[in-house]
Amino acid sequence: MENKILQINNLSVDFVSDDISKKAVKDFSIDINKNEIFGLVGESGSGKSTVIKSILRILPAPGVITNGEIKFENKDVLGFDEDELSSLRWSQISLVKQKALNSLNPLMKIKNQIIDTIRAHEKITNLDAIERCNYLMDIVEIDRKYLNNYPHELSGGMRQRVVIAIALVLRPKLIIMDEPTTALDVVVEKEIILKILDLKNELGFSLLFITHDLNLILSFADRIGVMLNGRLVDEDFTEKIKYGGNHNYTKKLIDSIPNISNYKQVRIDKNVTKLMEINSLQKIYNLNSSLFSSDKIHAVDGISFNINKNEILSLVGESGSGKSTISKILTKLIDYNNGIILFNGNNIAEISKNKDLLMYRKKVQMVFQDPFASLNSIHTVYHHLSRPILIHKSFSNYSKAERDAIIKEEIINILEEVDIRPAEDFLYKFPHEMSGGERQRISLARALLVKPDLLIADEPTSMLDMSIRMDILELLKNLQINKGISILYITHDIKSACYISDRLIVLKNGKIKESGDTANIISNPKDDYTKLLMNSCKSGWINKNQEV
Amino acid sequence: MNRHWYNRIWANYKARLGIFIVFSFIIIATIGPIFFQDPNAFVDTPLLEPSFEHLFGTTGQGQDVFAQTISGARTTLFIGFLSGFLVVLLGLIVGSLAGFFGRRIDNILSLVINIFLLMPGLPLMVIIAAWLPPGPFSIMGVLVFTGWAWNARVLRSQVLSLRETDYVNAAIIMGESNLKVIIFQIWPQMLSLIIASFIGATVYSIGAQVGLEFLGLGDVDKVTWGNNLYWATNDLALLTGSWWTFVPTGLGIALVSFGLTLINYGIDEIANPRLLSERTLKAKLSGSYDRNGSTPVAKELYGK
Repeated sequence: MENKILQINNLSVDFVSDDISKKAVKDFSIDINKNEIFGLVGESGSGKSTVIKSILRILPAPGVITNGEIKFENKDVLGFDEDELSSLRWSQISLVKQKALNSLNPLMKIKNQIIDTIRAHEKITNLDAIERCNYLMDIVEIDRKYLNNYPHELSGGMRQRVVIAIALVLRPKLIIMDEPTTALDVVVEKEIILKILDLKNELGFSLLFITHDLNLILSFADRIGVMLNGRLVDEDFTEKIKYGGNHNYTKKLIDSIPNISNYKQVRIDKNVTKLMEINSLQKIYNLNSSLFSSDKIHAVDGISFNINKNEILSLVGESGSGKSTISKILTKLIDYNNGIILFNGNNIAEISKNKDLLMYRKKVQMVFQDPFASLNSIHTVYHHLSRPILIHKSFSNYSKAERDAIIKEEIINILEEVDIRPAEDFLYKFPHEMSGGERQRISLARALLVKPDLLIADEPTSMLDMSIRMDILELLKNLQINKGISILYITHDIKSACYISDRLIVLKNGKIKESGDTANIISNPKDDYTKLLMNSCKSGWINKNQEV
Repeated sequence: MNRHWYNRIWANYKARLGIFIVFSFIIIATIGPIFFQDPNAFVDTPLLEPSFEHLFGTTGQGQDVFAQTISGARTTLFIGFLSGFLVVLLGLIVGSLAGFFGRRIDNILSLVINIFLLMPGLPLMVIIAAWLPPGPFSIMGVLVFTGWAWNARVLRSQVLSLRETDYVNAAIIMGESNLKVIIFQIWPQMLSLIIASFIGATVYSIGAQVGLEFLGLGDVDKVTWGNNLYWATNDLALLTGSWWTFVPTGLGIALVSFGLTLINYGIDEIANPRLLSERTLKAKLSGSYDRNGSTPVAKELYGK
């Protein structure tokens, strides 16, 4: 008993509304020991954030704790009054959130935010406060001069370090981290995690680490809990979880971690024909352009590559590498500054007539990242899928009834092609009535209806839960094999890129770092950055004893 | 939450009360005047107090105040709602064009919007109203001319953000024409904002219209709420203590604005579900819930 810092027994949380109360968390029990790292894994909507907000009692309306007990150092948190709670929050338990930019006040200097946090809990002189700030900056390894800067002047990784510093400022016994590295690039992610482990060894606190990324948590947690639909379905030591755990769902999660050695076997095809040629493409964004100065960002900086017929080409890069800008240029959503793009030998910058543009739209289609945003919430599946047919097909010789029959048949065919079954049941569903995976299949169906030559898939799986990612990747792969569609697969995740693509291009800061056949790059990565990306997807890639 | 927004507006008691008030006035204004001959006719001794013969008494000109209030409602509400509609329509068109096409079109239209926003509204209204031939439609023209810019600006920023959504991009890549994208993809998504703007613009139009007419800038021979107040002042209603000449009209204006504001509240709660969920939670926990406090613990709610 002495060793336990936090005990949660049979916690239940409801979201109350007029007619139905939704149970967000059901009978949730965990213990966290002193000096332990406990990893809580779950997909979006599994209730993991609700649990941590309940621990701090900061869950907003309509959340209500309806059952169970939460004990922090054997004191009942659910019986606390407001004063006791405010001395619990931050000085005993602190919280690091996913988006550092949202947890920092953009109008305050870093120094003042730290001092504010201290002053909320204890009296301190200015001199002592500055001393504490300097100390904190030192332990998270940020130069002290940044204390006088504003949050937007720091990089994402530095911001997250500042947030961690603020979480440490009152020396809490337990720190809760809610996906602290999800918004960061893998390289920075690694640095931050190593820093956290360092600090834990040095200062001695317990850590409750929330994430959706099982592969990440496997590399450093002591124990892991797996959540599904508001319940804790599995809980064990990391070693046990690593080898499949005790629950089918855990096994499914473990299996869905793609293995780097599982890459696509490339067909040897001698007759390569080019579908799209991109030559020294350049896109410059002007920021803060004023009368006298303007900041320019080279989002895409002189990139050349080809997309061949009947191949899957992956663009791999992290946020800010310019990969989404390329997808927008190729779909003619935005213009570019320099370079030439030839599609089937025609320069796409010279498309001027509406008719030609419509032809191009028919040939080049796109699937978006966020399945919640790419379908309009007020339209049904039927509406979404009938529009492309109506736009690209002429029905002048048909009556309205004949036309509707043809459209319906085409929609049902395409829905079955993307594994939406029974297709009839989905025709009049609205986006919110479907799961993320189903929605993504609908967007894919919409893109395929016009029978494009090139499909641009911009991170089509990154917003989906782990367990259905593989299904969508399989679907894309089969499209290329069976229908001969070229696919430009854009991702930050090199594992999925290796799994699906024939060729690979690694981007960084708008430039190509490395390109070539997937098999070659995997067996012999030349660029340091590619090597780092490759390492990041080996399980256990964060070695606790390793230096950055 | 899956129900349609119009069901949810109806389910909201504030909005329902507002709809009830506003529609009562619209019905009275539509069919009421049929029962009166001529509200301007001299019917009895001037400045009679309310009685069964003249429910709201008579004016300083010997006209029936009840007849004038109801007839006035017709013109005032008609012009108020029509100006509100036109203000939002103009704002929606300009805002959509600026927000959707961006760049040069946005620069030019935003410049125009800003110029209109910079012009001082009330003096401009007074000057234009004095210059135009007096009458309700001139007043409407003045209200639309001086009032559209603010809505254009609000709606533009909403279009600007919806323009960047994936479903709009998807529709463009699909080959959908710009006009169809705006009308079928963007406008329906901002319907609650459009309705809220319409209600706000209508409340403003009714107020400004009454104000201008009260200053004598309308056609004083027509019976409107503004003119009722104008004549009440002209006949020194305050000095003679004849409160019944202006209170009914004033109450009418206040009630319509109140009703419209209630509808707006309802829409606000729907557009911002947080407000609604706090209210629901408070009702469920029988008042022991404090919105600034911590997550409530309610084991007794489930008898455990």
